[in-house]
Amino acid sequence: MPTRGKGPMRTPSDSDSALVGKGLHWRRALWLLTLGSLLIAPFLLTSAAQTQTGCPGESALFHPCAVARAKTFRPPRTVDGRPNMQGFWRGPASGTENVEEHPMTDDDNGGKSLIVDPADGKIPYQPWAAALQKENRAKYVEPNVPCFPSGVPRSMYVPTQIEILQSPVSVLILFERAHTYRIIPTSVRPHVGANIGLWMGDSRGRWEGSTLVVDVTNHSAKTWFDQVGNFHSTDAHMVERFTLVDSDTIHYQVNIVDPTVYTRPWTMAFPLRRNKEKGFRLLEEACHEGERNTDPLIRAGQRIYPGVAEKK
Amino acid sequence: MPAGQGVVEGNEIPYQPWALARKQENHNSRLTADPEARCYLPGVPRITYMPYPFQIFQFPDRVVILYEYLHATREIYTDGSRHPDIPVEFWLGDSRGRWEGNTLVVDVTLFTGETWFDRAGNFHSTDLHVVERYTRTGRDHMLYEVTIEDPKVFTRPWKIRMPLYRRQEQNVQLLEFECYAYAREGPDADAK
Repeated sequence: MPTRGKGPMRTPSDSDSALVGKGLHWRRALWLLTLGSLLIAPFLLTSAAQTQTGCPGESALFHPCAVARAKTFRPPRTVDGRPNMQGFWRGPASGTENVEEHPMTDDDNGGKSLIVDPADGKIPYQPWAAALQKENRAKYVEPNVPCFPSGVPRSMYVPTQIEILQSPVSVLILFERAHTYRIIPTSVRPHVGANIGLWMGDSRGRWEGSTLVVDVTNHSAKTWFDQVGNFHSTDAHMVERFTLVDSDTIHYQVNIVDPTVYTRPWTMAFPLRRNKEKGFRLLEEACHEGERNTDPLIRAGQRIYPGVAEKK
Repeated sequence: MPAGQGVVEGNEIPYQPWALARKQENHNSRLTADPEARCYLPGVPRITYMPYPFQIFQFPDRVVILYEYLHATREIYTDGSRHPDIPVEFWLGDSRGRWEGNTLVVDVTLFTGETWFDRAGNFHSTDLHVVERYTRTGRDHMLYEVTIEDPKVFTRPWKIRMPLYRRQEQNVQLLEFECYAYAREGPDADAK
């Protein structure tokens, strides 16, 4: 269930379904929504203040600004000397509507493209893949509606809270959305076998200076980048880069290589903004337990998205 | 179904008479009524003895347990904080831990009344109060002891205990058990 307000936007597929969650009396839901509106107000103020003093939020402007700031910013360190990224964060929720630029409509709040390369902000699809993306939304249930894991990178911009925890041998990212998580080992070890497909991919991290670099492979490819069916195949190889550019902003970049689907590699970049609310903690979003939207879509003829396999 | 020895101290769960009848009803309809059959979060302590691995991470202010089954997550705060005094229910409850010598003691409350302890229909109410005790007994073993209290359902608190074994594989890591995704993808998924 949505245990608190979701901030600037709430999208039906990411949270509404859970409102009817079992075990949550309506009065409790009301209470939590009320609490949510109280909790979210200071957060919005904080975000606005950061946008004014830090780098602007729009990817095309944020990315060069963050690259410049990373050169001079000296991040706080953990006891073992790594940049300290621990705490609660949020990505740009508009990405879950559409990672490309899209207008405000009855369904969407609208937003700029998260893509910084290519410069036109568009996913460089091969022609067949561009056609398939258009079919996806009509043919298939949006994979986040049945509370499936959002995958990488979508988990980084679903409209809920993210918590980062660091240990000397791994970085954990916990997502409030459907209580999913990523375990990113930073010790050297090979990826799992090539025939294993995972909803959240298989992550291997390393520190390059002050940047956490994460290599993500073994995607099940059953996730989408967003609600409009933008997709990759099981061939996708992603490299993420997390860099603190001020004490409350992470410059997140993900480079995506997938020769089965695209004409060239491409890159998204956006800020993760810190949630500094005192006493904040992740609550349990028991998404599937209350999910009632998928069955009507299946009855209306939509199918579960099967994913796209790599072309050899 | 193969036989299995119980983990309950004294071997009997001390149900109140009405609750014993309800347990029997649960048992009769267990193939469909078991929350596990619908891939729901299984509650505590059941999540511990689901047949899938979990990984424990320790931080100064908390212990985090991540489970392969349903990507379930528990953050057990060991910072002296108390259960929130709010009317809310969680499928995995609200966990607050403390260290007693070599034992991690976890107090869990604020449960839904929706989960069972097992596939046999053993159940509880929203008044469930669980105290888990995790004690290392060797390099690769822990003793897991749980006290279960629910005055609406049982006549007295009762206990379970079992060993937990460390996974030994060189390449062990949590993968994914996406129960409800598999149910949707199955051969008769579209018929649901």
